Amino acid sequence: MRRFIQMPPQLFRIFLLAVGIVTVYLIARYFLTPASFGQYGWYRGEALAELAARQPIYAGKKACEECHSDEYQKLIKHEHKTLSCEGCHGPGQAHADNPRKDNIAKSSFAACLRCHEANPSRPKFLKQISVKTHYTGSKCTECHVPHMPLEVP
Amino acid sequence: MSNQFSRRSVLGKIGATLAGLIAAPAAKAAKTVVQKEFVTSGAPKGYDPTQHKWRMAIDANRCIGCGLCAEACKTENHVPAGPYFRTWIERYIITKPKAGSGEARGEVFVDCPDGGMHGFPEPPVPKEEIQHSFFVPKLCNLCEHSPCTQVCPVGATFDAPDGAVLIDPTYCIGCGFCIQACPYGCRFLSPITKTAEKCTLCYHRITRGLKPACVEVCPTQARIFGDLKHPVPDDPLQQFYQNNLVLALKPHLGTEPRVFYAGIDKEVR
Repeated sequence: MRRFIQMPPQLFRIFLLAVGIVTVYLIARYFLTPASFGQYGWYRGEALAELAARQPIYAGKKACEECHSDEYQKLIKHEHKTLSCEGCHGPGQAHADNPRKDNIAKSSFAACLRCHEANPSRPKFLKQISVKTHYTGSKCTECHVPHMPLEVP
Repeated sequence: MSNQFSRRSVLGKIGATLAGLIAAPAAKAAKTVVQKEFVTSGAPKGYDPTQHKWRMAIDANRCIGCGLCAEACKTENHVPAGPYFRTWIERYIITKPKAGSGEARGEVFVDCPDGGMHGFPEPPVPKEEIQHSFFVPKLCNLCEHSPCTQVCPVGATFDAPDGAVLIDPTYCIGCGFCIQACPYGCRFLSPITKTAEKCTLCYHRITRGLKPACVEVCPTQARIFGDLKHPVPDDPLQQFYQNNLVLALKPHLGTEPRVFYAGIDKEVR
């Protein structure tokens, strides 16, 4: 032990400095490593919960069914059964939390054309129309029921 | 070594032990204070990521290019306006070869106006000259060996145990290495937060039992989402795997994407 301490002083100072740096590093690591670090892997486990904490904006089809089960039943029994309510009516979490008439969009003409306007890239199973030649009136709903597309109004 | 048990050394040792006993709880208390101040934030719990294995699949045969998914993603995730997308739709147009040219196919056109959010204009070539044309929705491929997580210098991006590749925004320094590393172009630097952003599989939705926003609004079920650990009756994901021959994008890079595609062409990258 004594012989070790009696190493040349210039080396001893460097040794002390190295020990000091490592000690400072270990203390800093002890204090600053997040508690959840390493919970699932080499990252802060709490980040997952933080990312999950945000509130959704789209409520999902189930939330619509709670109040609008009549329209929902029509929808799922007909050709448009795979469509989501919020695809045409817009995001609905605000409406689901506080149902009012002014916080949900009324669907329109544009919502129909978004899928059904003819485009050569679209797959053949989809019914497509060219709006210029199909009908010159103003509303799709004059002839079609969006929730039951094969029925006549 | 005759002075091994001298009074001084024994007293010193006792002193050091006492100091250690006092310092350990003090250090622990100090640590919690430091962590509360600088490191942690109170986020809710109740979802166990080790109990799920989320997967997304894309059936390009069914994609009609309506752009609802890209739009819903922007709204749901507050993606900045402009050319920033967590998911988008590409249109591929492959023309017929010129007669007698000796080629199997003509030119390939790929476009994605505004991420496909507002639909697609008339194709740049006449309808008669098109050999094949189709839409391909794109998103983070959720790679098994993700290059983006390997290059992050601060460990801000990681592979969550439930199959999502996520970014810890409080650790991201916005250096952009991951954006260059991603071979699928799925990341961008947010002009608002100045951190990297990407598809999180709508982590705030799937942890609540909802589908990701793009899957929710897709009218043709071109996007399929499910949990491999908890298959539901008639699980759409299991049916997708059973009914389709699937491809992954850029398999030669060895990234092992977890997002599988059905119905895409060799031109899709």
